[in-house]
Amino acid sequence: MRRRQRCSAMVWTVALAAALAFSTAARAQAGQQQGVPKAAAAPAPKRDLSGVWQYQGTGGGGSTAEEKDMPPMTPWAQVRFDQEKPGYGTRGAPGGNDPILQCDPAGFPRVMFVPTPFEFVQTPTRVLQFFEREHEWRPIWTDGRPLPKDPDPTWYGYAIGRWEDDNTFVVESAGFNDKTWLGVTGYPHSDQMRVTERYHRVDHDTIVYDITVTDPVAYTKPIVTRNKIMKLKPNEEIEELPCVWSEENSFLKRIREPAAAKPVK
Amino acid sequence: MNRKLTTSIVLVAGLLLACWPASAHHGNAAYDEEHWITIAGTVTEFVWSNPHCQIYMDVKGDDGKVVSWSVESQSPGILRRNSWTRDSIKPGDQITVTLAAAKNGVPVGFSGNKNGKIVFADGHVLKMDLR
Repeated sequence: MRRRQRCSAMVWTVALAAALAFSTAARAQAGQQQGVPKAAAAPAPKRDLSGVWQYQGTGGGGSTAEEKDMPPMTPWAQVRFDQEKPGYGTRGAPGGNDPILQCDPAGFPRVMFVPTPFEFVQTPTRVLQFFEREHEWRPIWTDGRPLPKDPDPTWYGYAIGRWEDDNTFVVESAGFNDKTWLGVTGYPHSDQMRVTERYHRVDHDTIVYDITVTDPVAYTKPIVTRNKIMKLKPNEEIEELPCVWSEENSFLKRIREPAAAKPVK
Repeated sequence: MNRKLTTSIVLVAGLLLACWPASAHHGNAAYDEEHWITIAGTVTEFVWSNPHCQIYMDVKGDDGKVVSWSVESQSPGILRRNSWTRDSIKPGDQITVTLAAAKNGVPVGFSGNKNGKIVFADGHVLKMDLR
């Protein structure tokens, strides 16, 4: 067994024992285990997510799930997977064909895991997510409408949301195109992808985020990611961050392509 | 917190630390992010653009030869959060940059995260932390 796998198995065995010791761990305590400051934050306001939030990722951009947690792919997805050349992860190589290198939208759900913040804005009929990345709005309808039966494909999908309780907002979405990756490490999805998210505001400053991606065309089981942390950034403003093709193209020519060229002999 | 739980947490932390080098950051594949270096020289151009700002500078080597370096930074928004403006770096500025150089040996580097920084001749520092 490779060192990494062996270590991973040992860590998970001991972690399981630790988890069993938490026989009655509350959800809020789970949040504290994920890096919530020990000093008690103020309680979460009811049915309110307003504000600028930052996903607490690894710093270099992220993915919907860790590579080790990805379920088996279908043959359809495997063909696409084999064509991907990501810049990060176990397949990471210089250059590559990440769609965002040509300013394709990051799309959903990848945009949730980028290292720039988003703002929640609430209106009587919608909860809006305003992403710094691409300066993009994602409307989440809260007026009781159902998801459309056969939505046309879009980069960010069609989303409806409801409050499961005073601190938990649940979002269902569908209607995606199949042109985006699930993250910096690649991984395809189909236009049949459906996504369920839970935004659980455990205290004033913290959302515990769960996301489940169901895509039977691409994966044999749902992709399940739980207990990710988002922190409120009270004094932050959403900056402009479009991918400008003329500027990105110049950047690629002057920096990325020389850096990815074959070594000088 | 009971003793069994404390022991488990200590064990998990210990194993994670022991395993850290094997599961460390994969990063921008073109750059050697395992080894951060510093280069010192004179700014020739600062490009304030989306989604990546860029710094171009001339660096004189020990042999007296000048090499033109290209440095990848972060988006204007992220830099603004780190107190930069479009005028923070100007042609002619003497700066020392901490960066991860391209693995292929060309004079190109990545400086756009918490490890990267610019130190000016008067000692003031600009960082590029993501948050």
